[in-house]
Amino acid sequence: MPPIVPSPMNDHERGPSRRTLLTGAAGLAGLGLLTLTGCTSGARSTTIPEGAATGIAARGGRLRIARPAASAAETLDSASSLSAYEYLGALYNRLVKQNQAGETVADLAEEWNATPDGTTWTFRLRKGVRFHNGKTFTAADAIASIEHILDPKTASPQGGVLGDMLDKNSMSAPDPYTLRFDLTKPNAEFPSLLTAYQCYIVPAGEIATIGTTGIGTGPFKLSSFAPAGSGSVEAFDDHFAGRPALDGIDFSSIQDTTARVNALLAGQIDLISQTNLDFATARVVSASSRATVARVKNAQWYTIPMLATSTEFKDPMVRQAMKFAYDPKVIVATALQGTGSPGWDNPVPPTLAAFDDDRRVYDPDKARALLKKAGRSGMKTSIYTSSYESVFTPMAVAYRDQVKAAGIDLTVRNASSDSYYTEIWMQKPLMVSYWFTGRPIDQLLNQIFRTGSSYNESAWSNTTFDGLLDDARATMNDDRRRMLYQDAQRLIIEDGADMTPMFGDRLVGISRDVVNYREFGFEFDYLRIGLRK
Amino acid sequence: MTVLTTVLRRIGTAILTIVLASLFVFLAIQLLPGDVAQQLLGQNATPDAVKALRESLGLDQNVWLRYGNWLIGAAHGDFGTSLVSGDPVGPSLFVAFRNSMLIAVPAMLIGVTVSLTLGVVAGVRRGRASDHVISLISLVVMSVPEFMVATVLVLVFAIAIPVFPAVVLRGSDATVLQLLPSVWLPMIVLTLAMAAYIVRTARSSTIDVMASEFITTAELKGLSTRQIVWRHAVPSALLPTLNVVALNVAWLLGGVVVVENVFNYPGMGKLMLESVFNRDLPTIQAIALLSALIYVVCNLAADLVALALDPRLRTRQRGRRARPRGTARRPAALAAASAGPATADTATATAGTSSARKDRA
Repeated sequence: MPPIVPSPMNDHERGPSRRTLLTGAAGLAGLGLLTLTGCTSGARSTTIPEGAATGIAARGGRLRIARPAASAAETLDSASSLSAYEYLGALYNRLVKQNQAGETVADLAEEWNATPDGTTWTFRLRKGVRFHNGKTFTAADAIASIEHILDPKTASPQGGVLGDMLDKNSMSAPDPYTLRFDLTKPNAEFPSLLTAYQCYIVPAGEIATIGTTGIGTGPFKLSSFAPAGSGSVEAFDDHFAGRPALDGIDFSSIQDTTARVNALLAGQIDLISQTNLDFATARVVSASSRATVARVKNAQWYTIPMLATSTEFKDPMVRQAMKFAYDPKVIVATALQGTGSPGWDNPVPPTLAAFDDDRRVYDPDKARALLKKAGRSGMKTSIYTSSYESVFTPMAVAYRDQVKAAGIDLTVRNASSDSYYTEIWMQKPLMVSYWFTGRPIDQLLNQIFRTGSSYNESAWSNTTFDGLLDDARATMNDDRRRMLYQDAQRLIIEDGADMTPMFGDRLVGISRDVVNYREFGFEFDYLRIGLRK
Repeated sequence: MTVLTTVLRRIGTAILTIVLASLFVFLAIQLLPGDVAQQLLGQNATPDAVKALRESLGLDQNVWLRYGNWLIGAAHGDFGTSLVSGDPVGPSLFVAFRNSMLIAVPAMLIGVTVSLTLGVVAGVRRGRASDHVISLISLVVMSVPEFMVATVLVLVFAIAIPVFPAVVLRGSDATVLQLLPSVWLPMIVLTLAMAAYIVRTARSSTIDVMASEFITTAELKGLSTRQIVWRHAVPSALLPTLNVVALNVAWLLGGVVVVENVFNYPGMGKLMLESVFNRDLPTIQAIALLSALIYVVCNLAADLVALALDPRLRTRQRGRRARPRGTARRPAALAAASAGPATADTATATAGTSSARKDRA
């Protein structure tokens, strides 16, 4: 939106005057008020923009990204659970990646096919791809990278997923540009499992030191990196898909969310990564002349896990009642202020091709009847939340208010954010949680919902569901397989213990100079993102 | 002999305080939920991942044994290695401490000088316009928490009028020169937060002293206000203020945690916050040790300065130099000095100062 009056930016370029100071102060006071009254009125002048600006990026320029570094233990080894997420997509490529519809598309592998039984997969690799150290990429590098993920010493989150169907003898290279996987059991969705952000390919000889060298085939090469500190990457001219729009990216670690926002508003950085701004802050940022907000659609998958092993929720009727009792549309309207879409307890985002659009009903009377049948009328329990994520508490409160109609009496309890995922998650019978979306369908269902998976946050166990997943993996026909996945989704909605009230848009703070910002499948679009000037 | 015993006793207490501080911090960390492996992994803390990380960090070892080993190492100057970064704690703590001192020392110097002056001015001009202005401003600054002061300063001087950077973008690898543009706002916040308390104490203590008999005596002798204030009132008024100054200097260590977090400043406060969050025991222990050391040293220094500023002590030394008569009063003066500045006996002080003046005349 072009400013009608001369923007404060121009004033600043001339140096601060008394007038600027006064208008600046008045504006800030206004912003302060806006923050204070953030949750009172529905209609307001400042709205949160829909998406990121697109346009032609000027060639060159350096993008400055502020990131919340996990800890000083972070590493550039993508296989590790302590990887520095923002660097990975800039430095490396995978064999295959996901597009926005969740389909598996080419990256370092150009094409792939399987034997009719789905046990042998052959990937044809891209030729003439160079690593940042000048070496040529071959199948040996891919084999070494995947072996590194499978190595128990790496303790990679993807190690267990791939280890389920791969062992040391599964991989072979008939020639330098052909990679063959002989799976220990059939898997029609195997390529999609290689799209995980742990599966980046690094040179075979560099694995021991990859955590600090970051040598890959990606659009940028590393020039400096300090764990939990700052780092830089420079455009890699020999990247196989062409040179990126930017000359380089400077990363800095800012732990405090307010400090990250201040840095953006002060023009010290251009983008805040891994941060879902709360609505009050998002409005302040979009009202700023330097910065704005870009929405990443449905990027946040919010859940309310009911611990299926707890006395409260081991009865499927109680779990059903907890679902019938609330209307996700209301939760989206209140907790997300409309910046998201209702989930109706289906964990599959509507953007995925395998999404099942059958929707459960909202029926508080049915919930009440189910509770009565289960002998739990007027059920009382606690729902745990924390300041870990800005939507957690609004979601817990909105859910509590919704289920009152069914006679369910919930007490919202706030737990410390720094131990929320060690003390509350998978420990308390009822709590709120979230994930980033971006998992392919097979990984999503197997990792979060399968019996015994270490990420199964509701400890739900259903043998029919597990059987459906096994059948799907053994079914090479795409339509048949999609139907099996849809049956699995319906089972989660009916019997599952992990509710999905909604998918939230991630509100990302970016400078008004940034164009073509896109982020999906756990990766930025680093090739196209650029600066306007 | 008595002085030596006092000093030795103080040093002994100091060492005990430091060791106890380290023990209490250790116990407190044990009470916190989760260990370093769980904290680092967060949502990825699957049983296998936690087990692998614990083994690689040596966390399977008995926790008391680890504490004991760390303590022995620390006594030899080896503060162990960080469980998170794997780097030795000593050097990284030194860098963080240096960065913190870069904002804390100027804040301390400016804060103490300016606030003592303002406090004395307000005390002397009690009830006048300048007193009202100084008191009001110091009350306001005192009531507003420092993170709020920091945020307002960032809004005004980094966002509205961009003269200073809002945050530090570089991490602990930043050199002093790279940090220089960013030190100003944190320094101002620390100065303001600290100064307010000192202004209040200096003001009330000046008012007390100005009302005392020896000042009246001095006024009746026809000395100029300037002489009365700076030669007689201020040294006595500073005595009770000293402990507040010492406490405030030590408080700076706590204040930097908040301020450094708001400005993303790579100092000791931020290191402390991160290591507590990650349950990085060796780093927390080293920080606790250093903080306790600073606390103890500050208080020790305050006591020594109090001894030096005490008019009775000054008289004794002068008296001894001038004539042997002074020796007669010596034991009493020493006893009063070691009993602490708070028990100042106005009558002795008055006698002391007037005799000192006579010596000069």
